[in-house]
Amino acid sequence: MTLRKSLFVAACIAAFSAPAFADTNVTVLHVSENPAQRGLWEKIAADYNASHKGVNVQMKYLENEAFKAKLPTMLQSDSRPDLFYSWAGGVMQAQDKAGFLKDITADVATVDQTLSPTAVDAFKVDGKVVGVPFEQGEVVFYYNKKLFEKAGVKAEDIKSWDDFLAAVKKLKAAGITPIAVGAGEKWPMHFYYSYLVMRLGGEHALTDAKAGKDGGFKSPAFVDAGKRLRELAALEPFQPGYLQTSHAQSSGIFGDGKAAMDLMGQWLLGMQAPNSASGKGLPEEDIGILSFPVVAGGKGKATDTLGGINGWLVSKSAPPEAVDFLKFFSQEKYAKEAAASAAYIPVVKGADASFTNPLFKRLASDLAATTYHQNFFDQDLGPSVGRVINDVSVAVAAGEMTPEAAAAAIQEAADQQ
Amino acid sequence: MSANGWTTLVVFLPPALLIFTVFVALPMTEAAWYGFFNWNGYGRPEKFVGLKNYQQLFGNATFLRSLVNNGLIIAVSLLVQLPLALGIAMMVAGRIVGAAWFRMIFFLPYILADVAAGLIWRFMFDGGFGLPSLVTGALGIAPYYLLADKTWAFSAVLIVTLWKYFGFHMMLYVAGLQSIDKSLLEAAEMDGASAFQRFWHITLPLLGPMIRLSIFFSVVGALQLFDVIVPLTGGGPFETTNTMVSFLYYFGITRMRVGFGSAVGVVLFIICVTFAFGYRRIFMRDD
Amino acid sequence: MTEASPIAPPLGATLDTPAGDRRPLAGIVLFAALIVIAGAVLAPIAATALNGFKALGDLQTHPFNLPQSWIWANYWDILASVRYWQVLGNSLLIALLTVALTLALSSMAAFAFAHLKFFGDRFLLSYLQLGLLFPLATAILPLFITVRDLGLLDSYLGVVLPQVAFSLAMGVLLLRNAFRQLPAELLDAAMMDGCGYFRYFFFITLPLSGPILSTVAVISFVASWNGYLLPLVVFNSESRYPWTLGLMAYQGQYSTSWQLVLAFITLTILPAILMFLVAQRYIVAGLTAGAVKG
Repeated sequence: MTLRKSLFVAACIAAFSAPAFADTNVTVLHVSENPAQRGLWEKIAADYNASHKGVNVQMKYLENEAFKAKLPTMLQSDSRPDLFYSWAGGVMQAQDKAGFLKDITADVATVDQTLSPTAVDAFKVDGKVVGVPFEQGEVVFYYNKKLFEKAGVKAEDIKSWDDFLAAVKKLKAAGITPIAVGAGEKWPMHFYYSYLVMRLGGEHALTDAKAGKDGGFKSPAFVDAGKRLRELAALEPFQPGYLQTSHAQSSGIFGDGKAAMDLMGQWLLGMQAPNSASGKGLPEEDIGILSFPVVAGGKGKATDTLGGINGWLVSKSAPPEAVDFLKFFSQEKYAKEAAASAAYIPVVKGADASFTNPLFKRLASDLAATTYHQNFFDQDLGPSVGRVINDVSVAVAAGEMTPEAAAAAIQEAADQQ
Repeated sequence: MSANGWTTLVVFLPPALLIFTVFVALPMTEAAWYGFFNWNGYGRPEKFVGLKNYQQLFGNATFLRSLVNNGLIIAVSLLVQLPLALGIAMMVAGRIVGAAWFRMIFFLPYILADVAAGLIWRFMFDGGFGLPSLVTGALGIAPYYLLADKTWAFSAVLIVTLWKYFGFHMMLYVAGLQSIDKSLLEAAEMDGASAFQRFWHITLPLLGPMIRLSIFFSVVGALQLFDVIVPLTGGGPFETTNTMVSFLYYFGITRMRVGFGSAVGVVLFIICVTFAFGYRRIFMRDD
Repeated sequence: MTEASPIAPPLGATLDTPAGDRRPLAGIVLFAALIVIAGAVLAPIAATALNGFKALGDLQTHPFNLPQSWIWANYWDILASVRYWQVLGNSLLIALLTVALTLALSSMAAFAFAHLKFFGDRFLLSYLQLGLLFPLATAILPLFITVRDLGLLDSYLGVVLPQVAFSLAMGVLLLRNAFRQLPAELLDAAMMDGCGYFRYFFFITLPLSGPILSTVAVISFVASWNGYLLPLVVFNSESRYPWTLGLMAYQGQYSTSWQLVLAFITLTILPAILMFLVAQRYIVAGLTAGAVKG
């Protein structure tokens, strides 16, 4: 090949491969279906792009299940995102162990000081920071004030598990379905099991179980939690066919006023109306919030909270602009916007003052005053053990599995990891 | 072989072999390899565990249940679906009004995608407003949720597979009946053979190849059933309605247990290949 | 079975059977039985289509009646949505690419196996035949990793190429048998006239093999059109979803509005039903012939 020819070829290649301005692309992969949340994120990305020439931040959405199934392989391919949605916990640890995550401890040290410490801690692996949280949630009982009134149940009086069981009986006697649960998807039932473990075993129950202390998952806290759950389910508090009901359907049942309670995360407030048969759902003034009751003799406090902690992880190959965008994203002003529009509960300190929605305000103040915040068990434990927790929660509730066998099944899954 | 022949060979054969090797043969070999590892899909498989995945598999109640379920589908296919398909084939192969239309209607479910069929039947079985509600509503009793009943939910899967696939087998039998020489039957009738005798001694033996084929497809199809399960039951309630493939999907892929899932794939592969070779060798030699 | 006899009789053709069609009463009973079975087969499809016209309340209270008022908007809204046409378009594109590549690759390979003797031909043929016994699901995990390593995740080719690979076994087998049944004198005469294998393949083999090629086309088209598992693991972007994935995504999104889900099901299975009504002879012949000859 002559020199001229090869120059020509090189020129052609250059012409086709390099765009005129080499923009740095930052892709952010998320799973949010909440329009308010998505809208805010799009806006933050647009603000950033406008103020940072040469950087192009793109928000990309992937459906929840697809995201979970594909991420492992995507991270190993060229189509890996720079920033991606995470629930922290076991999955994040596996990702870190495989070397997919960037250590950003030094980069975000100042930002982390402005955020809720429990949420920040959730995004550390062995003391190093691999991600930045943006939201926290709380799982509580949402109840229908009118149905409670009809059955003569007073929410203020429900403090202990026994009070709660009495209320369930009262509702049932009044011909009202006490609880809606989407057990067809399993994880909604694991909230009961998780909270019972927390109330019985206290702050260290899960960490001890993971460390194999006191029989691991076969510890009394887990076995007793199963017994209590079965005790509740034996009252037949759930809507008919609950084993087949999806999460969206159960939200609709609650929204239609066909069940008095739903133990769920804050997103229920956005889901109950669109999934109801009427399309209108319950007016928010008719919805009350009840913290999960304490169990007599348990080590947990009523102010211990269970709820998701979500954040962004940074993949190993991400450009520095990705981390810069994270700092931009975590500004107080955006957190306040999130709070004001009740899009989600931001983890930026002080943002809870901006909530106008009373229900969200209550959740935010619970979280601000939490004595111990626990991430979702299934997320914390990672996909293989987490799914087993979900499975056994339903099986125990339905009386298909003894609490002892359930605890043993979780331990077995943990041993196989 | 001529030079022209060689050129043809070199141009014509490699593309197919390449695609087949890359997307069929290699993945299967890799599945066998991954099956020896405890691997969550991150990085490369490193934790070699020997046969532990297989050991776990055969100690796993849900997997054993899925094996039983695959067996149930096969049993219903062979004992209910095939006789039904044959009976209906005899009905619509005759000179009855609208025979061709009936054949078409019965074949229709077969061309629908399994996911669509699964969703349609999920609606049909819904306790709130599906078929069960017709009965429970009329009797004034509490709604019945078949798909949430761990004892009977799998019968829903069986009904759907029956509905979806009997038309295909019927069409095979129609084709088989068509190729039967009518003069044989007429001669037998003249000799005073009853309708049953003609069926038993002439039609059935002559349909032999078609029946063997139909059995083959029933079994292989039953072993691979997956698409119907996801929309219909998702494997629930209490993992009582999984098939081997849905077990692989729910317990291998969604739980990121690549090694374990691959072991399921290998077991399925061995069952399929053993059956296919054995069956062809024993029953389909002459066809 | 000979090539000449079509596997499935055309619409309107009838056959003689041992059934006593000379007795009118038996005929009536038979006909009534067939009507009942046909009703049972069609009922779920009809219920799906009709309930798609209802309001949710109507559906919940009277699931098996005609709609109290016909809500055409359920259907119009879907027909007017981008996602409906997009999922059908994606399915069509994927299916057509799959069919084209399957026909091209398998006819060439089948031709080589049919007319050329070479070392290892039988071995290679049985190697390809393994694909017949091999459910895609067993290797879905490694297949996914292969697709990823080739950089084909979330691309149409990532679905098309594996689908082609999995239809090759069937295509090669059917086509090889058909090609071998073309009169040998044709090949001899063509070779005498100095017409090489290439020209023989393009100008004689292919034009004479219309029916069997359409059989292979129908089988691979239907398999691709209805495919679910492979697109499920390959596609990330909803903009590339074929209709099967689109349907499941729609169901996930509107899981509580059964009337909309049913309308969406009806509209997405409609193309298959229409195609079936128009080309039922070829489709039935294709799907059953493929089974018989495979």
